[in-house]
Amino acid sequence: MTFEQEADYTQEELNEEVDQLIEDNEVVLFMKGTELMPQCGYSRKAIALIQRHREDVETVDVLEALDQYRAALERHSNRETIPQTFVDGEFVGGSDILEQLQERGELGEKLNA
Amino acid sequence: METDAVETLIEDGIPDADATVTTPRDPDDDDHYAAEVISPAFEDESLVDRHQRVHDALDEHMHDEIHAIEIRAYTPEEYDDA
Repeated sequence: MTFEQEADYTQEELNEEVDQLIEDNEVVLFMKGTELMPQCGYSRKAIALIQRHREDVETVDVLEALDQYRAALERHSNRETIPQTFVDGEFVGGSDILEQLQERGELGEKLNA
Repeated sequence: METDAVETLIEDGIPDADATVTTPRDPDDDDHYAAEVISPAFEDESLVDRHQRVHDALDEHMHDEIHAIEIRAYTPEEYDDA
């Protein structure tokens, strides 16, 4: 896979940044757009679901280097779809899993594990 | 990618699976899909593991043709009482 140079990151730098973000934050959401301006329906749903249980979610706008973020994230979650949520370094899921955890009343517990 | 092609990929990739795939209308999203998959293989599996089975079944297609897929995965028993 080749990546056009969308941003000035090399893949290695981005891998390290993603690894660091996942390690340093209790809850980190890799999304399209920002907390205030989500750029995709799934990302909007994901941030809204998380914020019902936590305000201190670290968000990362993957649109800055989409292909490179996808590759970096796949190393942790085995998938390239966006959004992706991590809690205490562990992959939780995309917006569908967050929604289904919420339906089962398990999302709060999962996010505050 | 046609929804029945996606269904076939899922059913081929997961034992005894029955998949129903649709393309829900969401204006600000390009090609994304919703898949409801029923299989006894999901027994005692977490949501993440069930979803991983679907992602694995679609694998290389997930890079370009399928940008997003919303998954609901049930065992036959769960589906009957849902």
